[in-house]
Amino acid sequence: MEKFLKWIEEKFMPPMAKLAEQRHLRAIRDGIISTLSLIIVGSFFLIIAFPPVKAWSDAVAPYAGKILIPYRMTMGLMALYAAYGMGYSLAKSYKLDGVTGGVLSLAAFLMMTIPVNVDAVLKEAAKAGIKGAEPIGWALPMGNLGGAGMFAAILAMIIAVEILRFLKSHNVTLKMPEQVPESVSRSFEALIPAAVIIILLWFVRVWLNFDIQKFLMNIFEPVKGVAGNSIWGVIVPIFLITLLWSAGIHGASVIGSIIRPIWLVLLEENASALAAGKPMQNIAPEQFFQWYVWIGGAGATLGLAILLCFSKSEYLKKVGRFSIIPSIFNINEPMMFGVPLVMNPILAIPFILAPLVIGIISYIATSIGLVGRFAINAPWTLPAPIGAYFATNGSISGVILVLINIVISIVIYYPFFKVYEKRMLEEEKTEVVATKTGLNM
Amino acid sequence: MKVLMVCSGGMSSAIVVKAIKKEAEMQNFPLEIKAVGTGEFEEELKKGGYDLAIVAPQVKHRMDIFKEQAKNANVPVELIVPMGYTPIGAGKVLEQIKKYFK
Repeated sequence: MEKFLKWIEEKFMPPMAKLAEQRHLRAIRDGIISTLSLIIVGSFFLIIAFPPVKAWSDAVAPYAGKILIPYRMTMGLMALYAAYGMGYSLAKSYKLDGVTGGVLSLAAFLMMTIPVNVDAVLKEAAKAGIKGAEPIGWALPMGNLGGAGMFAAILAMIIAVEILRFLKSHNVTLKMPEQVPESVSRSFEALIPAAVIIILLWFVRVWLNFDIQKFLMNIFEPVKGVAGNSIWGVIVPIFLITLLWSAGIHGASVIGSIIRPIWLVLLEENASALAAGKPMQNIAPEQFFQWYVWIGGAGATLGLAILLCFSKSEYLKKVGRFSIIPSIFNINEPMMFGVPLVMNPILAIPFILAPLVIGIISYIATSIGLVGRFAINAPWTLPAPIGAYFATNGSISGVILVLINIVISIVIYYPFFKVYEKRMLEEEKTEVVATKTGLNM
Repeated sequence: MKVLMVCSGGMSSAIVVKAIKKEAEMQNFPLEIKAVGTGEFEEELKKGGYDLAIVAPQVKHRMDIFKEQAKNANVPVELIVPMGYTPIGAGKVLEQIKKYFK
């Protein structure tokens, strides 16, 4: 086991870290992170529109449409915000102007969607006496700008910023005289790249009539299916994240940057199903892991933190005491390095095993409909039962599952904890003896 | 002495930072320390005035990037020893910090 952990640290971690630190993946991660506050706030309007309490939900039902507008303008336009954020980050990583990169990426993304004008239909409808059917001019179909457009946004970001970089590095830009203020010259610098990007996408989307959005969705459909609705979508991320953590690497930060775009798409699909009053389809967006599996943080360590508090070992008890409260709020790094769980051949086993077991149990419970699915992005520092309650939009059975999972994690950690505790007690004893005999200088 | 700590989200480091501050107070060591997430690290360094940047052990896989960012800002970087990244390990981190005290 010790050798194995060494192997992870030396052989497995570097390529994974390299992948996660890859420029474009980093831009995706940072761009998406910049939209998270909007997604969290927006998804809370989903809770307000569909509150878990029956009496309350009946009371707000007539206003649901109005309440959902902030949700539609945030989560419903997720890819739009992400296109800007990702373009900004990628441009920055090339030491280009971030705002220019963001704006060009946003334009490239919007060029992939064809606006529509349905005024003729609306006029007919108005004549037929349908309320609210007034001509609105040109409109963008929002369906492409939310989660479904995420892959297109990623492609738009790459196309836009790479063109910007290529033209700039080959000096194909309009140079302004020195006297021109920097902000003005900057916007002129982007003139040629902007023209190239817009004409290219205009040609492909409008003249070749190639639906980039649909094409990408079709490609990613199977990937999405595996990630969101198969047992592998649960097992693989849990295994990789805990594996990396047991070698001391922030697993979620590495693996998450690769899978997060897909997780977000899965969440958004569930959220729009909820908003439309349809059943949710996807089992495993990121929130599934956050609330059902990572109880107390990666490795489902709340169970271990509880065990530590009652340890006979002075040291472990001390670690337990400072770990228990952060653990309730899913912060476990100090505990990871305190116990330590990192590079610990004994505790690495339950650290990987416990989340896998509760992940599989939760997958089964979710797929047969015993517990709720996730549509809402609640802040990750909420205690797990409360977070699960909100994120599932009020699934009581989901809360019960969290409590069961805590018990299961305690049971799995217990034997390994005992072995480790025994070892610590022996060490503590020899230390005391050593101090007494003055050997511990 | 002004130190910047970087961790993944800036959440767990708050706990560690608090402990280090306490330790520094106890030892009467003049220390000003702030924690940020990986995304804010570069910007914060640019604000200047930092004598040292310390990196949380769980983000050591980004060390090369931190090193480059710190080099641009002319700030030395040190990786926190694993056992130091706990409230009771604050003394160890403070020792690491003191090495850079001029």
